[in-house]
Amino acid sequence: MQSPSIGCLTRDPGSFSESRWHYASSLNELREQGEYDVVLVDLDAADAADVVFLLRCDARYHLTLIYAGRDRTGNAPELSDGSIPTDPNAITEAWHKWHHRLSEFNRGRYPERFDEYVLAWLWTRPEGRLKPVRHPHHAQFYYYPLLSAFADNEPVNEMVWLQLMMEQGWLERGPLTDRIRLCTHCVSARLNYVDVCPDCHALEIAREPSLHCFTCGHVAPQDHFLKQGLMLCPNCLTRLRHIGSDYDRPLENYRCRACQSFFVDAEVEVRCLDCDTHHTPDELRIREVRPYSLSEQGRLRCRQGFSGEAQAESHFGRLNLVSANAFTNLLNWQIQQSRRYGETAHGSLVLLRFANLGEALSQERGTTLLDSLIDRIRETIRETDRCARTRDELLWLLLPHTDRQGMDRLRERLTELNRLFREQDGIHIDLRTVGITLPENLLPQEDSDLLMARLGGEVS
Amino acid sequence: MLEALAVFPNELAAGGLTRLFLVLFPFFVLLELPLSLLVLAGVIRWYTRNLMTTPRASLYRPRVSCIITCYSEGRDVQNTLLSLCEQLYPGEVELIPVVDGATANEATMEAVRDFRVDPVRYPNRFLRPIAKWQRGGRVSSLNAGLSHATGEIVFALDGDTSFDNAMIGAMVRHFEDPSVPAVSGSLRVRNSWHSLATVMQSLEYFLSIQTSRVGLGEWNTVNNISGAFGAFRTSFLRHIGGWDTHTAEDLDLTLRIKSYFGRHPLRIPFEPTAVGHTDVPDTLRGFFMQRLRWDGDLFFLYIRKHRHSMTPRVLGWRNFLMTLFSGFFFQLVLPFLIVGYTLAGLVLLPLNVIAVLAVLIYAVYLLQTLILYLAGLLMVSERPWNDLKLAIALPVFPVFMFFLRGWGVICTLNEMFRRGHEETSMAPWWVLRRGRRF
Repeated sequence: MQSPSIGCLTRDPGSFSESRWHYASSLNELREQGEYDVVLVDLDAADAADVVFLLRCDARYHLTLIYAGRDRTGNAPELSDGSIPTDPNAITEAWHKWHHRLSEFNRGRYPERFDEYVLAWLWTRPEGRLKPVRHPHHAQFYYYPLLSAFADNEPVNEMVWLQLMMEQGWLERGPLTDRIRLCTHCVSARLNYVDVCPDCHALEIAREPSLHCFTCGHVAPQDHFLKQGLMLCPNCLTRLRHIGSDYDRPLENYRCRACQSFFVDAEVEVRCLDCDTHHTPDELRIREVRPYSLSEQGRLRCRQGFSGEAQAESHFGRLNLVSANAFTNLLNWQIQQSRRYGETAHGSLVLLRFANLGEALSQERGTTLLDSLIDRIRETIRETDRCARTRDELLWLLLPHTDRQGMDRLRERLTELNRLFREQDGIHIDLRTVGITLPENLLPQEDSDLLMARLGGEVS
Repeated sequence: MLEALAVFPNELAAGGLTRLFLVLFPFFVLLELPLSLLVLAGVIRWYTRNLMTTPRASLYRPRVSCIITCYSEGRDVQNTLLSLCEQLYPGEVELIPVVDGATANEATMEAVRDFRVDPVRYPNRFLRPIAKWQRGGRVSSLNAGLSHATGEIVFALDGDTSFDNAMIGAMVRHFEDPSVPAVSGSLRVRNSWHSLATVMQSLEYFLSIQTSRVGLGEWNTVNNISGAFGAFRTSFLRHIGGWDTHTAEDLDLTLRIKSYFGRHPLRIPFEPTAVGHTDVPDTLRGFFMQRLRWDGDLFFLYIRKHRHSMTPRVLGWRNFLMTLFSGFFFQLVLPFLIVGYTLAGLVLLPLNVIAVLAVLIYAVYLLQTLILYLAGLLMVSERPWNDLKLAIALPVFPVFMFFLRGWGVICTLNEMFRRGHEETSMAPWWVLRRGRRF
């Protein structure tokens, strides 16, 4: 078995017993030594995080397995693949897996562009996610270290890029981390919220308490009541001596010192600290910050390659799928026909469940098996048959004018094929099938939804 | 004996009413007259002096510290704090609410904690609460507050007393004169119309504090700086050692300040326009129990504790005489004379004679009260319309005072023989036990 070349950045090579590893004491030394398949960074947490980031910036190490630190509590530096394993064999094993997955990526083509690198990084790490990190120096307070590291010389607008990936369906959203508001002009999150005069928008406003004279009910700003150090009502000239019994403070308004206007609520204005643009709060751009991971479509894309239409290239796409809605309509029509015309309008419904689809897709041979299985299905079904996927792992086949015999034959063939593969390669696709024939197996009052739910329950 | 009794009807029949009157009229009642005239003259002097002087704006704005002694007042403390924040005084005011026994008085402590001083609305007011977890009594609260006070003037205030917004300004004005070590403030009853007892006390506060002290203050003979409301020059107060343990710490402090009067030209003014509003007991029982403490304390202070200061050399002639007459004679001796005379009369005199004499004495007291009341209403009161309503209590007031004097005898006896001051609720027993005995 081929073993990876391992470079180890450490200040204390004596603490490692492996003689085949290449030791370096500084990052530059490591870079100069050449390219390694796996890099170990044995530094303290802060230094290790910097080194890992710098290594990821280097195109040679964009995707390489990098282990950093010896912290066993799971707090490995961002962008690393965890802390250095204690068992050297584990490194070799992990590298093999990684190497295998990378060879599957984009039909074996090594990534070249920015988005290919990001997808490849996520593809080679089944648990990998694009994690946002908060940093006060960043104009938007959050950034994705992986995107920053891969961006290299071409600046990437992370927000736009992620949006694009989402639209294409290659990435899927993780749980919401934060929601930030951004300047519409310079997209900075460094905003200052100030209360200003609603009339002239001046900043210079002051709270001005008002007094209420109990004797005559007069309400006016406090200044109007103060006369030579005494408190007199300007309206009835009563001396106001004691709060609660002579007067109270019913309201507190604001006074603009620029235009002298008197108002209850100040207006909130948002001022960008970077470009000094003024906005109202509802004008701001709102951005949701969350982690992203590879979607199923994205995984498919990684395996099938980036050229051409993804859907047409995908395994199930070759089956001439109809939408779930259209399928239920067709099934309803078939049920109605069978009910009305009885034996003359036979029809069958088969449900295939690929219970371990995710697992199978992550193996190269599994993918091949799935492909041939689907090829076989395509060969077996007729032009008049209709297929649909209601969930990832559920494939429905509607076979008009097919009686129980015909349907059973189809099921047998599929099962046999699956068994054949298992014997040859030891790869197992957990394929469960169930089928019924119309109108014999149809329950009274059953429509397409109820029927599909019944069959779905049987294979789950 | 019977013959002696038979003389009265005979004398009455013979038209010797005048002679009888001269024989039987308790002339000691008239001894109070000079004092009343002195007070009245003082009030008139204060009034005319006020009319003459033009108000002037002073730049004297020292930092003021208000020590607010809190015990079980609960949310009322917030009214006090708010009324102090509301002061029109432009200088800095430090509020030091001292919660005594804060562990037990959770509601009061909570109220102090919850109170926020809005720095925009009240830019010169600072809240620095002190929590005394273990109860130590009023004196310990005041001294704790004094040790933390940073102001040039320190106010000693009660947690259940709120103040008019001109209070601090009016009090501080007097301290511009360096010969003023303390200023006494005026107290009004906040719960005036709760019951008969509170109405009578309102009138009593109006006459004996607001009006009388104006008169006494004018002659620099203010009898007491109320514990609920007084102001002191911090340096002077620290110099004489702050408050002393024992009950009636306010009268004690007043006497100790006055004991400098014989040697230094000091004065304690009374400021009637600085008004505090306090709650008084609203049952007669509560009222009499309060007076049992207050009037008993007079004996304790004048006779036991400050016996040696009662000389003209210490107090100065003016205050010596005033203390001797108003404090010693009228408060301690006169009640015994009144009660003795009444008891003797009841035994010796026929009912109709007693009735005539009672009406006569009542008339003298009513007249005296009426004059003082009118003087107060017209010259001193800053809320004349409020005080006018108290007029309905005037006819009852002499009777009320008669009973109060009678009660004074019991108070004094209680102190004389039972050392009542040691039963005060103003401090816990473990503190009182260690205090010096007099």
